[in-house]
Order: sequence, then structure tokens, then C-alpha cells
Amino acid sequence: MRVLVAMSGGVDSSVAAALLRDAGHEVVGATLKLWGGASDAGCCSVADVEDARRVAQVLGVDHHVFAYTEEFAERVVEPYVRAHAQGLTPNPCIDCNRFIKFDLLVDRARRLGFDALATGHHARVVTRHDRPALARGRDAAKDQSYVLGYLTAPTLAYLQLPVGAFTKDEVRAHAARLGLRTWDKPDSQDVCFIGAAQGRRGFLAERIARTPAVVVDQDSGAPLGHLEAAELVTVGQRRQIPSPDDARRYVTSVDLVAGRVAVTTRERARQDRLDLDPASVTSSAGELRGGPVWVQTSAHGRPVTGQLRLADDWCVDLDAPVPPVAPGQSAVFFDRDDPDVVAGAAVVRRR
Amino acid sequence: MTRAYLDYAASAPRREDVLAAMAPWMRGVVGNPSGMHDASRRARQALEEARDEVAELVGAPPGGVIFTGGGTESCHLAVAGVTHAALRSDGSAHLVTSAIEHHAVLDAAAQLARDPRVRVGSLPVGTDGAVDPTALGGVLEPTTALVSVMTANNETGVIQPVEAIAARVRRDSRAAVHTDAVAAAPWLDLRRATAGADLVSLCAHKLGGPVNAGALVVRGTVAIDPVNPGGGQERGRRGGTVDVAAAVGLAAALRAHDREREELTARVGRLRDRLLAQVVDLPTCEVTAPRSPRLAGTAHVTFAGVAAEEVLFLLDRAGVCASAGASCSSGAAEASHVLSAMGLDPRRSRGAVRLTLGYATSEEEVDWAAGALRAAVATLHAR
Repeated sequence: MRVLVAMSGGVDSSVAAALLRDAGHEVVGATLKLWGGASDAGCCSVADVEDARRVAQVLGVDHHVFAYTEEFAERVVEPYVRAHAQGLTPNPCIDCNRFIKFDLLVDRARRLGFDALATGHHARVVTRHDRPALARGRDAAKDQSYVLGYLTAPTLAYLQLPVGAFTKDEVRAHAARLGLRTWDKPDSQDVCFIGAAQGRRGFLAERIARTPAVVVDQDSGAPLGHLEAAELVTVGQRRQIPSPDDARRYVTSVDLVAGRVAVTTRERARQDRLDLDPASVTSSAGELRGGPVWVQTSAHGRPVTGQLRLADDWCVDLDAPVPPVAPGQSAVFFDRDDPDVVAGAAVVRRR
Repeated sequence: MTRAYLDYAASAPRREDVLAAMAPWMRGVVGNPSGMHDASRRARQALEEARDEVAELVGAPPGGVIFTGGGTESCHLAVAGVTHAALRSDGSAHLVTSAIEHHAVLDAAAQLARDPRVRVGSLPVGTDGAVDPTALGGVLEPTTALVSVMTANNETGVIQPVEAIAARVRRDSRAAVHTDAVAAAPWLDLRRATAGADLVSLCAHKLGGPVNAGALVVRGTVAIDPVNPGGGQERGRRGGTVDVAAAVGLAAALRAHDREREELTARVGRLRDRLLAQVVDLPTCEVTAPRSPRLAGTAHVTFAGVAAEEVLFLLDRAGVCASAGASCSSGAAEASHVLSAMGLDPRRSRGAVRLTLGYATSEEEVDWAAGALRAAVATLHAR
């Protein structure tokens, strides 16, 4: 097969390219240049392009750089900023995977005559009910199935995720054996287009209006203090939130129109239901069925059980309450009987 | 495997005659030209012969030739050297660059403009890709220190009216005129094409010479502060031991092109037209600035709704080396500031493909590339 490997310059995609080459495929590496702005963090900086290129050279495969800077700004960064301006907390990695890597890049790979696209994500493509489905990677701590939760069957059928069968330690050891310079490169942590020095707040503060907000107790309405910018507050946040006593307060809602941030104690902040945006509901199996599911609401969050209701109310009734989930985050559903397999995904909306 | 090398404007194949001229200065004892012994004297003689030759071929006094480490350095020395001299004498500096200058000029000016005493104006171009000398009226000031307009554009190949611009600058201001002749040098007689300019930037590797070899040629008296003063070489305008082999290579490459220019331009121009004739009927294909005077080696075309990166990928697989016109240091295709200055629709500028021919280009290469381009565009339009 001719396989296009998306090489971020990290160790996982380096090893993905190596594994496919060693399996006898004709491999071409491509690094996406996504962000034109200044950033020292995350993937896809010039240094990362250089690492990917050098790994491709060592592996003896061709390497190309594809610029998607305009598309990335339009489909990932601008929606991220816009959502924050509406008091939501989006996950830009999900959008990047969904709209850049597994939409534009898949299209491009097909046009250029490739039989498959591969990435270094820790997840696996499996077959369930005669259809391709996404499953968790073998290394539970590094599993990335959450950020791929929206992939549909046609994309999964085109996708190769060779490192999903290995643990991160095995991946690093393999890279070291092959003499790849990325073998001990640290994992990327944060949002790639936001510099470590600047931080999320700094990045957003340059780009959105700031609404001063009064912090109130969720139940009594008693004012507890003020915040400079409600847009920079996330549901579930406890840092920098004023409290009338020794106990931490947790944000449970952000109302930009009223300039009001509601908070409460850890116990009372818990929620037993996730409301879903019906338009966002996606499933690799075509149609998502209601009923018992596992649900995960952050990249490395612990999955919990609940009942998915897709009729009128579009929600998940959780079997046990969880800390608050910020609107704009995604809920990824896993099969209740086959808990490694993704059943679908949806965006969490305001309660 | 390379079947057709059509990226001369990025770097031309090294010429054997140039390498032969350089060889004695690349092995064994090569004296430092500033030394006080026989080996130095011999190196110095080769250096000064190269200087005389470059001066003659550009049309400048030998004392005006400053050997540099390449075209980018030459442009930087012109822009920054004049700016620093102006700041020293006037306390401020106003620069004018055309909107289609190479990043060697634009980035040098942008860096200088971080200093609040430095202002940079931009000269627009028309849809024909050329600077209109009358546009100077809008940006030129009586005390402007430098006007920089390239001799021919590296992406589109459009030849700029340097002489008319220089005449107008001379009439309305005291500015020095710099012209980046890097792209033009293989094709145009620099004595004529850069006439009127006070400063001319050159490099050798677009001429089949070595990389990191260039010169800034100064005509008349222009105050230039050195960017790199250490050592005082090149009359105090560019410190550092001069690379004799590089200087000899630049002179030999310029000489070879000067000797062959007429024949080369006619032959390569025909090949270029042969190439364009085979692709111009492709869906959405347009030749860039077809009615403007252009360099004989440049075939610049755009396709609407097709990504240049994809065309180049398929060309590469077919063994055709071409470019999107501009590329950034990461290796990705970059949105072209030249095409956007010409007012080209972004949908079209994203599909820009530049094929540049040169002294060794064959008919077989051209036909192979045309076939590969036809196949690539058909593939991309089909899906």
C-alpha cells in the first residue's frame, strides 16, 4: 500500500512511519504547518518540522510539508476564540483532528493517490459489526481515542493507527533502537498554538472582549467577589475563584449577558446529567443508539456510566454525579459492553 | 529520480566551467588575501581580477564591488548600510521598497523599522506585475534615504523599469536606488537592466556558481555603514576574510552568462514558450502577466481551485523539480506576497506553479514536465 503518514515531529508518528515502512508499505511522510503565529509549545513548530524531516531521512522515506495555516486559523483557532467569547470551553485538538487531519488531509491523500492515511495517535481501528470502529490504544495512560471520537466509518476505513497496539514505553524503545532523534522528545501537553509563556488566558485576552463579572453563590445569589473577564472562566474552574470560607468554590455556570459567574461547593457543583447539542451527535456506526453507555468528557478523563437519551431531551443521565463539565467540551461515548470501543461523540451544551 | 530540473530560479545546476575556475582556490594552500606573503599575493590577485570582472559586467568602478556571502547578505547590506548611515547623519531614515521585493529586502526593512526613527513605504505594482514609476509620487519624500526595486521578480519573472524609476527618484529626492538583480542576472545585461541604480545586489548560485557567494556593487558615492565591520576588509564595508573561490566563482558565472546571453535567452525563451504552449489550455490555467516583459527562463502559471502543494507533489513523483514560487524555511509553500500585491484572487494564487528553465534545460525535460503537469492537473481536477 501507499501510505501517507502525518508526522508531527513527535516520537509516536515517527514510529508510526517506521512500523509501516517495515511492514513493507510505500511510506511518504507529511508534516502539517498549521500555525503561522508565534508559539513555542506543542506540535508543528519549525523545530518539529525539522525533527519530522530528519526522522523521514533516517527512515529513507520522502517527506513533504503541507501548509494548512489559513484553514487551521479558520476552522480551529477562530472557532476556539469565538466559543470562548460565548462563555464556552471548546477542545481545539478535537476540531483539528476532525476538520484538518481527518478531513482536508484525508481528501488530499486520496487525491494524491494514497491508499491510506496514518497518524501516530494512541488508538486502534477495529472491526465491529462488519464496520470499522475506533478503539482505545493499548496504553491506557496515553490513549487518544477521545480526541478522535468524531471520526466516521469512511475515514476510519482509510486510517492506519499503528502505534495504538503498543505502549508509549515500547514506542520510545523502538524509536531509540532505530536511532530516531525524537525517541526521548517530551509528549506535547498543551494547545499547540498557545505559547507556554503566554498561556490560554494571555492568548484569549488579546483576542476577545472582556466582560467584568460578579461571582455569586449558585443557590443564595449572594455576591462573593468580582472577576475581570467572564470569558476567561471555565465551568468547573476553582483557581482564582473567591470563596467566603476555607472551602474551595467551583464555577457551575457563566452568564456573559448578565455578567454573572455562579459558584458553589465541590459537592453541590457535581452534576448527574450532561445535556448534549443534538446537531453535534456523531457516530462511526452511522446512527448512535440510546441506552447504557460509558461516557468520557476530557482527553484523559475517567469514563463513567450513564444512560444516553437521544429522543427529546438529548442528554446523558449519569449513574453517579461528576464534577461539572464545561459547555463546549465533548462527550465521547464508549460501548457499554465493549468499553474500549467508541460509539460516538457529542458536544456538551449549557444546562 | 529527477527527470526534469525546472527550478533554476531556486538554484541553478553548478556549471563545470565555473567549478574549474574555482578549483585552484579550493584546495591546498590558499593565502588569506590580506596577508603579507606570496600565497596571499596570489590569492589577492585572483580576488582583484574577479573584482575587475564583476565591475565590468555590471558597469561600475572596481572599487564599488563588495564581495559578500550571497544575495540575501548583499540586499541586507544595501538596505541596512544605507539606513544606518542616514540615521547617523540625519537622525531618521525613510525607506521605500516595492511590494514585490524578495524577503531579503522586505525582512531587512521590517527589522530596521522596529526602530521608531525608521519608516518604510511600499511601492505598489499593477496587475501586470510591474512597478509603475509614477507610483513613486505617492511614497517618495525629498529626504528618502533608499528606494529598493528589484531588476526582475523572482516569482513571476516580470522585468521592472529600473532606469525609469531611478530617473524619477533622482528628480524628486536624494535617495539612493538599490536594485536586487539576483533573479535577473542570468538573463539580462546588467549594464543596461540596472542602469541608474546606485546599488546592485548579485549572487552566484542562480548563475550556476556556488551558494554563499555574492556581491553588492556600488556605483558612485553612496554612504553605507558596514553591517559587519570586523577586520575592515572590502574597504571597511564588509569585514571578514574574503572567500577567493566564491569571488572567482561569481565572476566566472557572470562572465559565462554574459558571453552566452544572446544565444541562451533565445534558446531558453523558445523552450519556455514550448512549455507554456503545452499547458495553457489546461482547465483554469492562466499564465501570469503574459503581456509584461519577462525573464526568458520563467514560466509562471496559476490554476484556480487547485492547491500548488498537490501539483508539486505529483510533479515530484513524476521526477519534475518545480516550485510554488515562494517557500518558507520550513519547506511549506507560502502564500505569495507578490501575487497578492498584483491583486490576484487568493483562490488562484494558492494554485501558483513556477517552472524556471536555464542554460542546461533540454527539450526532453520541457516535454516531460509539460506531460507531468497535464497529468497532475487532470488528476486533481478529477477528484
